[in-house]
Parts: sequence; C-alpha cells; structure tokens
Amino acid sequence: MILEARNICKSYGSLEVLKNVTIECHKGQIYGLIGANGAGKTTLFRILLGLIKQDSGSILIDSEGIKPIGGIVEKPALYGYLSAFGNLKVFAQIQGLNLTKELFHQSMQQVGLSPTRKDEIRNYSLGMKQRLGLAIALLNNPECIVLDEPFSGLDPMGIFALHELIKKLSNENQITVIISSHIVSELTDLCDTLYVLNNGEIIKSGSAVQLLKESVTTFKITGKNLELSEVLKSEDAIFLNKSVLVSPKRASISEILQKLIEEGMEVTTCIPQTDLKALFGREQV
Amino acid sequence: MISLIRSEFYKISKQSKTLYALAAILIIEGFVIMSAFYQGAGIIDLLLDNLKDSFEFRGNLLNGNLIIYLILNSLWFHIPLILMIIISGFLTSEYKEKTVETVMLQPVSKLYFILSKYIVSIAFTLLIVLILAVSSFFISYWIFGHGDLVVYLDGLNFFKSDDASFRLICAFVSGANTMIFFSVISLTLAVILKDATKTWIVSAIFLICSNLLLKIDFKNEVINELFFSKLTDSWQYFFYYEIPYSTIYFKNLMLLGYSILAMIIGVLIFKRRDIHG
Repeated sequence: MILEARNICKSYGSLEVLKNVTIECHKGQIYGLIGANGAGKTTLFRILLGLIKQDSGSILIDSEGIKPIGGIVEKPALYGYLSAFGNLKVFAQIQGLNLTKELFHQSMQQVGLSPTRKDEIRNYSLGMKQRLGLAIALLNNPECIVLDEPFSGLDPMGIFALHELIKKLSNENQITVIISSHIVSELTDLCDTLYVLNNGEIIKSGSAVQLLKESVTTFKITGKNLELSEVLKSEDAIFLNKSVLVSPKRASISEILQKLIEEGMEVTTCIPQTDLKALFGREQV
Repeated sequence: MISLIRSEFYKISKQSKTLYALAAILIIEGFVIMSAFYQGAGIIDLLLDNLKDSFEFRGNLLNGNLIIYLILNSLWFHIPLILMIIISGFLTSEYKEKTVETVMLQPVSKLYFILSKYIVSIAFTLLIVLILAVSSFFISYWIFGHGDLVVYLDGLNFFKSDDASFRLICAFVSGANTMIFFSVISLTLAVILKDATKTWIVSAIFLICSNLLLKIDFKNEVINELFFSKLTDSWQYFFYYEIPYSTIYFKNLMLLGYSILAMIIGVLIFKRRDIHG
C-alpha cells in the first residue's frame, strides 16, 4: 500500500466536512473519488497533500522519496507572468532540483507540451496549464499524485488527452493516481477503484466497473425508427426527440438490443446512464 | 532556504510591479528636483528673509545637499507607502493566484518559505533605499552642485558641505532601518489579511497613524521612548548640530526589535494556519 488515510475527520466550526473517511491506495493504481459538489472531496485532497490539518485520523504514505506525493488542487495555480521554463525553474529550485535543459525538455514532453514556447503562461489554454501543473507535480518523481477535478473546464479533446496521460503515468511509471470528479462519466473508464463520498462520508467503495454497473439502471439508445419498436414499447421506454431512454425490466439490455436488431432497427449508440441517486445514496444530487 | 531566497529574487525580477516601484521612486525624485529647480530659490529667500538683515549669505543655498535632504524627507510617507504596497504584494499575489498552494504542494517547509519572503523583503527594501540614495546624490550634485546645507529643525541649522554629505549618508542608513520596519509590518499584515486591497488599506492607515502618533506627547516617559511610532524618526536626528548618537542607536535597536517581533508574529501565524489560496 502506498497511501492510507484512516478515520480522517475535519470540521469548520459546527460544520462537519469529513467524517471518519478511510481510503487505501496501492502502487500504480488509479483511484476515483466521486461525490456531488460540497461532498468534501477537495478538503480530503487538501489534507492528503498536507495543505490543511485534519482534526483527527492518520495519513500514512509509504515512500522514501524527497516528494512522496504531488498534486493539483482545483485549478493549476502557476505564475502567469513567467514562461513554462520560468515556472518549472521556480518550482524545481524551491525543492532543490536543478532544472537543466534536459530535465525541462523531459518534463514538458512527459505531459505532451512543446518545450519551444517562450511566452508567459497566462497565454496558455486551461488544458495546457493543467499539463504544466502536472509537470510541476511530477518534479522529483512522486509515487502518488492527487488531481482534484482535473477535467473541469477542459474541452473533449483536452479531456481525452488528459485521460491518456493519466493512464500512461499509471501504466508506465507505476504512479498511483487519485482523481476526484463530480461527473461520473469522466471516471468510468479511467479508474480501477472508486470511492463515493457523500456529505463527508465514504458511502461506497470498490471496483469502478462493479460500482458503476450497480448504479446504471437506464440506457440511452439512438437509432433509426426506434419509435416503431414493439420491444421498446413493451419496456415502457421514454421516447425523446432523437433518442430513447429505456430502463430494462423484463429483459437485460443485451437482450433488448438483440431484439431491436431482430426487429430490423438500426441501433447507432447505447449509452449507460448512471443513476446518481443510487450512486450517491441520496435524493439531492 | 538559499534556493527559496533565489527563487523569490527570480520572481521579483520578472514581475512588472518591481519596475513600477523603481519608476515611482524616480518620479518622486524628479518632482522634488523639478520643484526645487523652479521654486527653490524663492522658498529659500522667504525662509531666510529675516536673517538676511543681520547676516551676509555667500554662495548658493539651493544646492545638491538641500535637494538630497528634500528627497530624504520622502522617507516620512512616500517611500514607506510604496514599499508597503509592493512588499505586501509579494505574498498577497501568491494568495490571490493560489500559487502559495502550489508552492506548499512541493517538499518545502512553511517556516523556510515565509522566512525567505521576509529576508527578500528586507533585501528589496535596502535595495530601494540604496537606489534612492545613490540616484539622489548623483542627480542632485550633477544638477545643483555642492554647497552648505540649511535645515529647519527646531530652528535653522547650517552645515558645511562635507559635513552635510556625511550627515545625509548617515540619515539614509538610519532611514533604511525605519523602512525595513514598515516593510516587515506590511508583510506581516499580508500574512494576517491575505487580501491585497485590505492589506494596502491597513498598511496605509498604519503608516498615517504612526506618523501622527510620532507628534503626540503621551505624557509618559516609557511610552514616549519605547512606543514604536516614536522610534521611526531617528534619521532626522542627524540634522541637529550635535548628533545624539546614543539616542539614534537606541531608537534603531528598539525599532529593529519591533521588526523582529513583527516577523516572529508573521511566521507563527503563517506556520499555524492551513493553506488556503
């Protein structure tokens, strides 16, 4: 185990933000922390990263490196008036690293940024800042990185690129990654394990595939002439403008899709819809 | 610690507000010199009008030493105000941009980080006072030449040219300690308040109150001698005929003590607080 946070509690005045939160992370795995806004994700991450102190509970990081854990909280906070080189130089220098040209090129290439740009990073897009923030987090080779809402504000291409980068860091560098998000779809195909945080408590944890499977009750199907399907009508499907929402009752989704094909329907997509109420275990999401 | 200090200097050198600080100082100097150039002779005539009936004045009293003395007097308000704004910004900008979080996400000690801020602030203050002093000596002597200095301090005091230069240099050195005090206070206020605008307002109020309290007699010898606002004028004591060195040393040491106390308070608060951008 690389990181273990046990029975973490944190309150601000009378407001209990975290209640006995326990998470365990193993080397090279990707963990997702999912929860609605205000669930306590950022507070937990700030505690894991040592920015704030927990009221009680313990954190154990099994690493002998200079920097056991790195990360980005909310948006990447960088010096806008410096170039990418300037930012990396400052953050390398303060932790006793000499930023050579080789290290700069290596750091930039690791996160897929061009080392040739010389302008101030205030001109960079959010996605590029996220990547540079990640390059800074990866200085001194931490064994674990924590990314708080890393996909927030990114366009689909940016989300895809960051997905690939996180997978690469986990697979090739054996870095443990802990990611938070309030958008389920962003974590479904990325994480090995999910923790669901609700109202400051971990209410569910386990394999990401299993947890999400349990929380999917509805599928959005698109295709041609679906409104004519008897199968969908028998399943009380809801017909929308260009798609159909179906919550399988009498048959499984694979059986429904099979029957649709037998009916001669041309199905183009079938997207699982996560039931957030079921996942977060509460009415308001 | 050394690497933290180096990185702080690197950041300062790349920030445009450093240039604004230097520009502000040169503008103040420029205004003093311009005012002296156009109106100085008339003001000196008015000042010495009565004395001219009894004494004969030789040479030019509107000279470089008088201009340097006028520039030196910007240490009362203008220079400390500029320093307080710029130096508090060293930290408040890190809070505003949340870079303080990114710094603290690296293997960096909170103690060393905030200490490096204080050390760099003091070095920056000394640099600004040095630039002010060197440029005022250079420009004033170049434009107005050398000459005897006349200063109104509990009456008119006259100093020979060489003596005046020595006293002005000593006053800048002593004034630098006062500027360090205001700079350290502004950084401590930044630690407490975090927000730039609030820190500017409180710093300006602190400076104004400090200057007002300097003139007030508290009718208590201990307060009159030890209260911080009574210690910020040591640089003016170099313009008495007999320089009261013991008073100047005492005031400077006490003020240094206040600066160290303010620094300790700032360090303790920063260390104990959670990091929130």
